[in-house]
Amino acid sequence: MASYPRDFRFGGFVVSLIWLIFWILIIVALVGLPLIFIILFYVPLPEVDGEVLTPYLFLTSILYPQSAIPVIETLLDTTFFKVAVFPGFTYAALIAAATIFIERKFLAKMQLRVGPLYAGKIEGILQLLADGLKLISKEIIIPSGSDKLIFWSAPIAFVATAAAVVALIPAAPGWVVADIDVGLLAVFAILGFFPLIALLFSWASNSKYPFIGGLRALHQLIAFEIPFILSALSVVILSGTLNLTEVVESQIQSYWFIFFLPISAFVFYISSLAELERIPFDLPEAEAEIVAGWLTETSGMIYGLLQLGSYIKTYALAALFVILFLGGWAGPQIFPAEIIPESAEAIIPVSELYEQTDANAAFWFTLKTFGVIMLMLLPRGISPRIRIDILLHTGWYKLIVLAFINMFVALALIYGGVLGPGGLLVR
Amino acid sequence: MTSIEEKFEESKRLGLQIVKESEEDRLMTLSVGPQHPGSGHFRFVIKVDGDYIVYCDPDPGYVHRGEEKMCEYRNVIQNIPHLERPVIHDSANITYSYSLAVEELVGIEVPRRGQFIRAIASELNRQVYTLYWLAIYGIFLGHSTMFMWPTGDREVIIDLLEALTGARVTHAFNIPGGVRNDMPEGFRDRCLSQIRYLQKRFKEYEDIFYNNPLFRQRTEGVAVLSKEDAIKLGVTGSVVRASSVPFDVRKAEPYDIYNEIDFKVQYMKTGDCFARSYVPLLDMQESCYIIEQLLDKMPASGEVRAKLQPNPKGPPGESYRRVESGRGALGYYIVSDGTPKPYRVKISVGSFRNMLALPYLLFGKRLADMPAVYWSLNYWPVEADR
Amino acid sequence: MTSAGGFIKSIESGSKHLVIKRFTLRYPEKKLKFVGDGYQFDPKRGVGIAGYRGRHILMHDKCTGCQLCAIACEGIAEAIGMVKVDEQWKHNKKGIMPQIDYGKCVFCGLCVDACPFYALFMTNDYELSAFTKEHLIYTPAQLAIKPKYQGDVEIVIDDRGATHG
Repeated sequence: MASYPRDFRFGGFVVSLIWLIFWILIIVALVGLPLIFIILFYVPLPEVDGEVLTPYLFLTSILYPQSAIPVIETLLDTTFFKVAVFPGFTYAALIAAATIFIERKFLAKMQLRVGPLYAGKIEGILQLLADGLKLISKEIIIPSGSDKLIFWSAPIAFVATAAAVVALIPAAPGWVVADIDVGLLAVFAILGFFPLIALLFSWASNSKYPFIGGLRALHQLIAFEIPFILSALSVVILSGTLNLTEVVESQIQSYWFIFFLPISAFVFYISSLAELERIPFDLPEAEAEIVAGWLTETSGMIYGLLQLGSYIKTYALAALFVILFLGGWAGPQIFPAEIIPESAEAIIPVSELYEQTDANAAFWFTLKTFGVIMLMLLPRGISPRIRIDILLHTGWYKLIVLAFINMFVALALIYGGVLGPGGLLVR
Repeated sequence: MTSIEEKFEESKRLGLQIVKESEEDRLMTLSVGPQHPGSGHFRFVIKVDGDYIVYCDPDPGYVHRGEEKMCEYRNVIQNIPHLERPVIHDSANITYSYSLAVEELVGIEVPRRGQFIRAIASELNRQVYTLYWLAIYGIFLGHSTMFMWPTGDREVIIDLLEALTGARVTHAFNIPGGVRNDMPEGFRDRCLSQIRYLQKRFKEYEDIFYNNPLFRQRTEGVAVLSKEDAIKLGVTGSVVRASSVPFDVRKAEPYDIYNEIDFKVQYMKTGDCFARSYVPLLDMQESCYIIEQLLDKMPASGEVRAKLQPNPKGPPGESYRRVESGRGALGYYIVSDGTPKPYRVKISVGSFRNMLALPYLLFGKRLADMPAVYWSLNYWPVEADR
Repeated sequence: MTSAGGFIKSIESGSKHLVIKRFTLRYPEKKLKFVGDGYQFDPKRGVGIAGYRGRHILMHDKCTGCQLCAIACEGIAEAIGMVKVDEQWKHNKKGIMPQIDYGKCVFCGLCVDACPFYALFMTNDYELSAFTKEHLIYTPAQLAIKPKYQGDVEIVIDDRGATHG
C-alpha cells in the first residue's frame, strides 16, 4: 500500500472483473465440486423428520419456506452450530469485540476524555472494525535469526488454546461444545499451556526485550495457577462434581456459592487478572521497562491474533467466574412462554425455534458475564503496575493462604450438613 | 597508593563500575535508547545480571542543537525565541534567567509591575511543567489514569497562559527589560478560579496515586539518596529537596521581588523515590499560595517593560544569574565584548547535573525500578542536551 | 490493613470520575473563544497589548516598506521577505511590502514589536494548513484579509469539575 495509485481506466476495471470471474469458475469447477462430492460421500447427512437431508430436500425449502423450519431445528442441534455460533466462536468473538470497545470507552470516561469517536456515526462504534482492517493490511516483519516455525505458529496456538477453553464453558443448559465429566480439570490443564506459548514465542523472537518479557510471563503465569486451582477446589467441595453444568445445577438447587465462599471468589478474581496479564499484573508487557515485553517483535496480524486470543481468554475466565461463583445461568424467568401466541397455524412458524428456558439462560449468563468483565476492567483505571518480587510474594504466600482458609470453611459447611446432598440449605 | 581492589570497591559504590572480565558472560547489555517508551530523547546503556542492574552509562546528546553557539550570532532580543525551545513547557523560566543576566550586563531597570507579572508567569510555568512531569511518571509506572488527569488539568493553566501571553507553550514572554505585554482584563479572577480548581485536583492525585498501596510499594525505600551523597553529587531542584536539604534559589538568592513573598521551602527527609515524586506536588501547592500573594500585592497599574534602544548593548563584562526552574537551579553565564551580540553564553541546567546521580542510584536495583528512578530525577532530556 | 483502605480510596476516587463531565474539547465541531482581537504592539508606549498570536494582518495604508520586520526576523526564523507590490501608496515610495512564509514562522511576534507604524498585527486565526509548501507563503494581499474566526466554547469551572462548554 505504499505506491501511488494509478489513474482509473474503465477498461482495466472490466478486464480485472473478468479475470476474477474466470478464476472463480476454474477453482469451483476443478477443485470445489470434487471436494464437495468427496466430503458428501463420507459425512453422514443429518436426519430431518425421519428423512435424510439430501440436497434436493435442502433446495426445495427455498420454494416451500415452511419446510425449512425442521431443517433449521436440526441444524441448531448439531455440534457445528455449537462450535461456530453459540456458545462457541461467534459468541465469544462478539463478546470479545464488545469488551474491547467498552473497555476503551469506560476507561476514557474515567479519565475524563472521549474514547474512540470518529469511526462510525455513533460515538465510534465501528472502531474495532477499523482496527482489524488496519492490522490485516500491515506488513508482518519477522526478525532475522528468529525461529520462523514457532514465530508463525505461536500466535495461532495462543488463539487455539483460548478457544479450547471457551469450548468447555456452558452458556445454557445443554449448550456446551464439549460436555466432559472432568470439565474443570480440563480447563486448568488447558490453561497450563499459556506460559509455554509465551516462553516459546519470546525465545523465538531472538531479541533481548522479548526474552525478559517471556521470563516474566513464565514466572507470573505459573505462580498464579496454584491459587487459581485452589480457589476453584472449594467450589468442587461444595458441589461435589467437576462437571461445569452440574456445578451450576447445584447452585440452582441451593444458593449462589459466592455467599459461602467470598474469599475464594476474591482469590479467583485476582488470579484471573494475573493469568490474563491485565493491569496491575501486566509485567510481561510492561511498556516503560521492556518496550512491549514478549510482544515486541509482533506486527500486523500476529499482534491482532494475540490481542484477540487475550480477549477471548478474558471472556472465558469471566464466564468461569460466573459459573463457579455466581450461579451460571440462574435467574428469574423473564421471557414469555411463546413470543407470538397462536403461531402454530401460521404459514412459516418461525417462533417454534424459540425456547423459553434457553433464551432466559442465555440472557442471564451474558448479563452476568458482562458484569464480571466490567469488574475486570476497573483495575486498569486505578492502579499502576506491580513489581515482580511483590507479585511473586503475593502469589506464592498470601493468595494460597487465603484460598486454604476458604477451603476449610467449605469443608466445615459440608461436614456440618449445611450443604451437600440432603443438606439444610438444599432445596 | 590505593590498590586495584580498593579502587574497584570505591567505583562500585559510586556506580561507575567497570565490569570485571570474569563476570562478563553473565551480563546482558540493554540499550534503553531513544527508541524506547521508557526513556524520552535520551539513551543510556545498562548491563543487567538476572534482574539486577550492575552498570549504567548515560549517553546524552541525542537532541543537541547548539543553543549556546547559536546565541553568538543573534542579538540579545533575537535570542529569546530559540532559547526557550529546550524546555517548551517551562519557557518562562528558561528565559527569565537569561533576561536577568542580560539586564545585569546592559544595566536595565525593570519596572515593578513587570517584575510581578514575570513572577506570575514563572510560577504558572512551574505548575505546567510539574503536571506534565507527573503525568509521565504515571505512565512510566503503568498508571494510565495518572497520565490523563494531569495532562487534562494542564490545559486549564495553558488556557490561562494563552490569555496572558498569546501562545500556549513557548511564550516568548520574558524579554530583557520586562515582559512584552500587560495582563488582559479579567485575568485576575480567571487565574484565581483556576488555581482553586487545581488545588482540588491535588487531593484527587493523592487519593489515586500517592496513597495507592501499589505505588507506595514500588517507590518507598527504593533508591535512597542520602544527604551527604546528594550534596557530593551536586544534584539540584526537587531531588535535593527530597534528601532533606532545603535549598531553593528563590530563598537562597532572591531575585526580582521574591524577597517580598512569604513562602516555605518544602522538603522531605527520606530521600527515596517516593519523596522525590512527592516534593514536586508540595512545590506546586506552594506555588498556588505564591500566585495568590503576587496577585494581591501587585501594583494596580504601571509600566511592564523598560524602553530599550533597538540593539541593546552594554559595556564589556560578564554576568551570572540563576533562577529556580521546575527542574532545579538554571543559570546563565554571559560574556559580552561591547557589541550587541553576546560573545559567549553558557547555560547551566539542573537536568544535566541530576543525570550524574543516575548511575549511582541505579546500581543494584531491579530492572523494574529503572523507569521509576530515572524519571524521579526530574530529568528533561532536551534541556540537558541544549 | 491500611493497604485495603488505600485501595478502597483509589477505587472510590476513580469511580467518582465516572459521573464527572468529560473535559475534551470537541474540535472541530466546537472551537475555543479568544479574549481580544490578537496581539498588537503600541510603538509609542513601547509595550504590547495582550492577544493571541495567530496569523499576521498587514495594514496596507500604514506600511511604509521600511523592512524593520524583515530585519527583526532575520535572526530568528527568516520568514519575512520583502516583495514588490503593484499598489501605489504615498507613504510607500519603494513599493515593497512583507510576505510571510508560515512554513518557517515561529509566531513569536517580535516582528510586530519591531514595526513603528502600527502596520503589522496578529490575529486569532490559527487554522493555516495547506497542501503544498508554496501555499504557505502568504503574499501582502493575502495578509491584508481579516480572518473570520468564530469561537464558541471556553473552559467553564463549576463545582463538579472543568469542562469546555
